Amino acid sequence: MPREVAIIGAGMAQFGNRTDKTLMGLFKEAATRAIDHARLGDVPISALYVSTMLAGELTNQTATASALADELCIIPAAADRVENGPASGGSAVKNAYLSIAAGFADIVLVVGGEKMREVPGDKITDLIATMTHPTAEYIHGVTLPSLAAMFTRLYMNKYGVERKHLSMIAVKNHDNALLNPYAHIHRKITLEGIYSSPEAEVNNPIIADPLRLFDMCPVSDGAASVVLCAADIAKKFTDKPVIVAGVGQATDIHAIPQRPDPTTLNAVKNSAQQAFKMAKLTPKDMDFAELHDAFTILEISESEDAGFFEKGTAHKAVEEGITLLSGKFPINPSGGLKARGHPVGATGVAQVAELTWQLRGEAGERQVKGAKKGFCCNFGGFGNNVVSFVLRREN
Amino acid sequence: MATNQMIGAKCAKCHAVYYPKRDCCPICRSIELEETDMGDSGELITYTELWAVPKGISHMPLILGIVQFSNGGRVLGQISAKEVKVGMLLKPVWAVVRKVQEKEVYGFKFEPI
Amino acid sequence: MENIEQMLSLDWDIPKKPYPAKVITLSTGSKMVVREIQREEVPRLLDAIRPLVTVAADYYDIVSARMYAELLGWYRYRVRNEYCLVGIVDGELAGIVNNRLYDNKTCISYHTMALKRGGRVGAHLFAAKQEHAIENYGVDQILVTAESPIGFNRWMVEWNLEPRPGVQHELGGAAAYALTKEGYALRKSKLVFGERPVPNDLNEQALNFKVVPPDMAKDTRT
Repeated sequence: MPREVAIIGAGMAQFGNRTDKTLMGLFKEAATRAIDHARLGDVPISALYVSTMLAGELTNQTATASALADELCIIPAAADRVENGPASGGSAVKNAYLSIAAGFADIVLVVGGEKMREVPGDKITDLIATMTHPTAEYIHGVTLPSLAAMFTRLYMNKYGVERKHLSMIAVKNHDNALLNPYAHIHRKITLEGIYSSPEAEVNNPIIADPLRLFDMCPVSDGAASVVLCAADIAKKFTDKPVIVAGVGQATDIHAIPQRPDPTTLNAVKNSAQQAFKMAKLTPKDMDFAELHDAFTILEISESEDAGFFEKGTAHKAVEEGITLLSGKFPINPSGGLKARGHPVGATGVAQVAELTWQLRGEAGERQVKGAKKGFCCNFGGFGNNVVSFVLRREN
Repeated sequence: MATNQMIGAKCAKCHAVYYPKRDCCPICRSIELEETDMGDSGELITYTELWAVPKGISHMPLILGIVQFSNGGRVLGQISAKEVKVGMLLKPVWAVVRKVQEKEVYGFKFEPI
Repeated sequence: MENIEQMLSLDWDIPKKPYPAKVITLSTGSKMVVREIQREEVPRLLDAIRPLVTVAADYYDIVSARMYAELLGWYRYRVRNEYCLVGIVDGELAGIVNNRLYDNKTCISYHTMALKRGGRVGAHLFAAKQEHAIENYGVDQILVTAESPIGFNRWMVEWNLEPRPGVQHELGGAAAYALTKEGYALRKSKLVFGERPVPNDLNEQALNFKVVPPDMAKDTRT
């Protein structure tokens, strides 16, 4: 019988342009905060999962989990580096969950991070593009923005999503991030500035038609961390444990053109269904969600495929303000990838950290009122590997 | 190899068509795939004009699109056309698609019929 | 002595045209007033630019040192036919651009500097100074060069400038590119914006702008 698992602490290293720290330094910053938050004291950590997609390529360091175990002085903890593209963070949390559920470990630290800003933008774009299908996509000059753009055009033509809806999501996420001290982007934007004014043509230029500058998340440095433990000992550390109620993961066809319906994110669907089934909950039971908006269109499509809105209708919910922080179903109260930032290996862990703070009532000015149950999904590749979580406050 | 024939793979069990060829079908899991000629024309179902082009691509913007063939197969490739519209008919043409570390790489591009 | 001073002292030797001020909406929703500055305002700009002369990041040192020299040259009557536009946001100086008219057919694009970063202030101001040369002075072409790769991408690529190999730009660096009046007409609808006239309250702020330390430390790129 698998053990129930709880999250007892969360921490983040400010996302942004972190010329002040190395990748290890960022890991440590986030981990130290999470460990403090968890009030572990002298209790040893049994296992460490480190999530980073490009540590080797960008910072010339491999075996980062082994290195961090030493750096944090938590040896002899078991340690693994987890790589699943942009879903590395979700996979790392999943692996931490599994190690506790299986009885392998009692107290597990997860740290995710990336240092992306030291290399030129075109090099980052190319490294990220290596996730795509080598012969069906990459070789033709595909980049993630170009895939997202083709996906967006299909979505617009099939479901009536308009540029306005994408811009509304960007404005919302920027507003939310203004209330998030750890976010990369602290900059208000307006619908007039990026969409309705004639100047929007310069302010929000086309990058990969029809996607524009403000439809794409920034390139960020940063790290995030959570501490998990067996639920039955959680009360030793906190009176507000957050239960990992459901976990799901699924892959999908790699090359987008080969998917029977390229506008359906089957990995989001399947992993979300698994997570809800395990949690014995449904999308309707959730109070909010953190979704993977590497591109604004993904907030729309993921919210549908995860089950929060009927397929092809989420843009109407955006129009009605339902997904605002003040709305009926807030999406990305943290600011999402768009404004919180996207240090690739950190994101999945940051989503879980945000859910943890929200469910504990510790999200400050961006607190979702009465948050008791939350969902997040971490999107790898272009949706060919997705990890989903359902978290809830302990009863 | 100088060829203008696009040869894909068709799943004998569920009839899904793939280009480039693959040896198992991710939809029905069959390993029985036969070669199939994709044909001389397909319809553009989506595209993008990419202004942030990767290294090794010489022109800006790079137009990429997904072309659907009558056998159901869909293929992603560069579109060489002055004007691009969803629904336009395109034919596959074997050409240099980009340079990788100064070496020319060939593949199928699409041109208007 | 007097004769030499007369010879060295230059101002405008072609008819000067006014630049009607305009308002531009930025991505933040803020409004930027773009207006031409008068010679007597140059000392204020020099004060604003001086601290950047030693900031090596993002080519601020070279651009500000050269712009400082250009504006000072104009102020002291040693450079002819130079004009300068500024962008003002919330009453604060946001950016400075300058050009010089070689004659009534050719304009030399000098420099573009954003003091408030991340809102495409530089892009809007660059467009405005070229608008002035083409639409108000009626030149046939503007010669442009770049010191920074970012500048190069922004201008040579976005504006589709025509290379002029073998033509030296007055600034003496990389080969010149040209923005012809035909090229301007083709790109105008995508790059040149703003509303006129400027509302009174914004006009006030723009006339009496404040100079605040530029946000160099903050990385405000999206």
